[in-house]
Amino acid sequence: MSERRWQGELLAPGGSVAMVEAAVANGADAIYVGPRGWSRRRDAYELEDEQIRRCVEVAHAGGAKLRAAFNTHPQSSEVPALLQKVERLVEFGIDGIIMTDVGCIAEVSRRFPALTIHASIGANILNNEDIRFYREIGVSQVVADTKLTLRELHSRKHDLEVGIEILIHANKCYTYLGKCWMSPYHRFERAVDEFGKDLFRGSPNRGGLDYRVCLEAWSLYSGDTKWEERVALKNDAFFLVDDIPRLLDLGVHCLKVQGREYPVELVGGMVRFYREMINTYLTDRTNFSLPAWKARLSDLRVERDRERTQGTESLLQEARLPVLTAPGGCSR
Amino acid sequence: MPPFELNTDISNRRDLQASDLTPYDAIYLGNPYCRVYEANFLEHVDELAEAIQQVKGEGRKAYVTTYAAPRNAFLGQIRRALEVAEREGADAVEAHNLGVLRICRTEFPGLQVFVGGFANVYTDVGAQVLLDQGATRITPNYELSLEEIGLLAKHTGAEIELLLHGKIPLGISDYCHLLEHEKAWGIQCPSLCQQDLFLRQGDWAMKSVGKGVLSGRDVCMLEHLSALWATGYRTFRLTALSERPAYRAEVGAVYRTALAAVAAGDARCPEAWWETIKRHSRIGLCNGFYFGQSGQAYVPARQEVRA
Repeated sequence: MSERRWQGELLAPGGSVAMVEAAVANGADAIYVGPRGWSRRRDAYELEDEQIRRCVEVAHAGGAKLRAAFNTHPQSSEVPALLQKVERLVEFGIDGIIMTDVGCIAEVSRRFPALTIHASIGANILNNEDIRFYREIGVSQVVADTKLTLRELHSRKHDLEVGIEILIHANKCYTYLGKCWMSPYHRFERAVDEFGKDLFRGSPNRGGLDYRVCLEAWSLYSGDTKWEERVALKNDAFFLVDDIPRLLDLGVHCLKVQGREYPVELVGGMVRFYREMINTYLTDRTNFSLPAWKARLSDLRVERDRERTQGTESLLQEARLPVLTAPGGCSR
Repeated sequence: MPPFELNTDISNRRDLQASDLTPYDAIYLGNPYCRVYEANFLEHVDELAEAIQQVKGEGRKAYVTTYAAPRNAFLGQIRRALEVAEREGADAVEAHNLGVLRICRTEFPGLQVFVGGFANVYTDVGAQVLLDQGATRITPNYELSLEEIGLLAKHTGAEIELLLHGKIPLGISDYCHLLEHEKAWGIQCPSLCQQDLFLRQGDWAMKSVGKGVLSGRDVCMLEHLSALWATGYRTFRLTALSERPAYRAEVGAVYRTALAAVAAGDARCPEAWWETIKRHSRIGLCNGFYFGQSGQAYVPARQEVRA
């Protein structure tokens, strides 16, 4: 089968203009960026409007698409600002929008009917009836939860006319994504930026950073008796290299790589790796050799794991810091 | 009828039989976290049918909850529970999942549907979408502040259910980490998650019920009741899924008395009430996210810190 027959796309992270340039240069079909304050990452990896405008130009010049992630739950009072922001980005020429909140999805669908809406992994779409619900309010693409099996994904693709996006290079949390509040329970800071957007620091569902408190060194007690010195709430980085051929055979619409917080060079290397692997498989499925690609991934894995470990240590330290701003207070 | 509703939740027949339900106007039946939770009503539909009849026979409303994170494989059993709810005249079902809400709307249009706290209702426009889909009561996501909930209620006119007391969910998984310890502890599933287990790290604590992670501290809104009442809230939950029947009975009795007093214009909180609440709170008290702070924080109405 010719590689041209895969109608899907390799989706890469864009935590900066330079990262978007690297993703395009290394073969991404699409890139997602986060407007500052509105996406599921620390604000340092989100972009101002003019940066997004530049990213649209870079992506389109390289034949790629650019999507904006509004994949958090805002406050009710912030919904008008969200719609204004979407309108501005539509004027820039963005190709799609990634969303979580059902109300915001419905509002955007009504006002911008030509805009492709992707339901984020944070929407926690777990079954076919969920997909039908989201389709009815305007979603045409859904990001599959990392806990779903290939069999479940195949069921969706087979039964429902919907694009399925799979994270092939990401983290798998202990909890379902979008249904975890461990981080803000321990530290939550209401901090409003200069545009009036609450950054909800500590709440990943609302756009703040996730302190990854699940990765603390938890002990397990029954009453006052310690039963286990250390228990793990598993939160693993994963790489679906083994599954990529089957995902391509299933006709999955989109293979997504996460990592807006990683160095540009690492993201560029990740995109190049997956691009070449996908193209090689699609060119000659019969003679495709998986072990060689797994060996090649090992260097990327070491670098990524180092970044992730350092990031987790820093976040856990930050989670213990006192909250200095009052609710609704301005810290910038 | 009292001018308010205080409800609670019960997972199985054992806890239903062991619990004094005197403080409550309504009961949510079933455990939303785990299909293999011991004798979960949602998997034992004959017992669910009996429970609905028992609760209604005692003059209370019977609600049937559903799973918080249902995969395709759950939907058949959920439909069986909904059939029982409809047949036995349950007063409402609780949908935490939007696919389940859709099933209720399309396949069980006669059932009244409440939207539960796992459905991630964060915005007024989100609540309106679910009201348009047939929901009649909304439990906003636990991460919302009272200020945000107030706006949501004002803009939609929705009936809002507020958690008054108990452990809020901090996460739900498809995997039970307690199963890794079955051999070492000599305790098998489904007894593992009944052991009152807490994850602790320094002064942090979370309760583990296997597939569910709950707040270590109990949300307590006792001394804020009069403010909630003045704002217009009348539907309240005391969640006790992971607690002993005595918790449900004794803490429930405190809140029943307190709500009746607040309704009559008396906002006092006698020390005996605090003693009861503290006796049942293993780690301490918090206000969840109601005051826009970290969920484990406690904001006193008066200048005394009880956490």
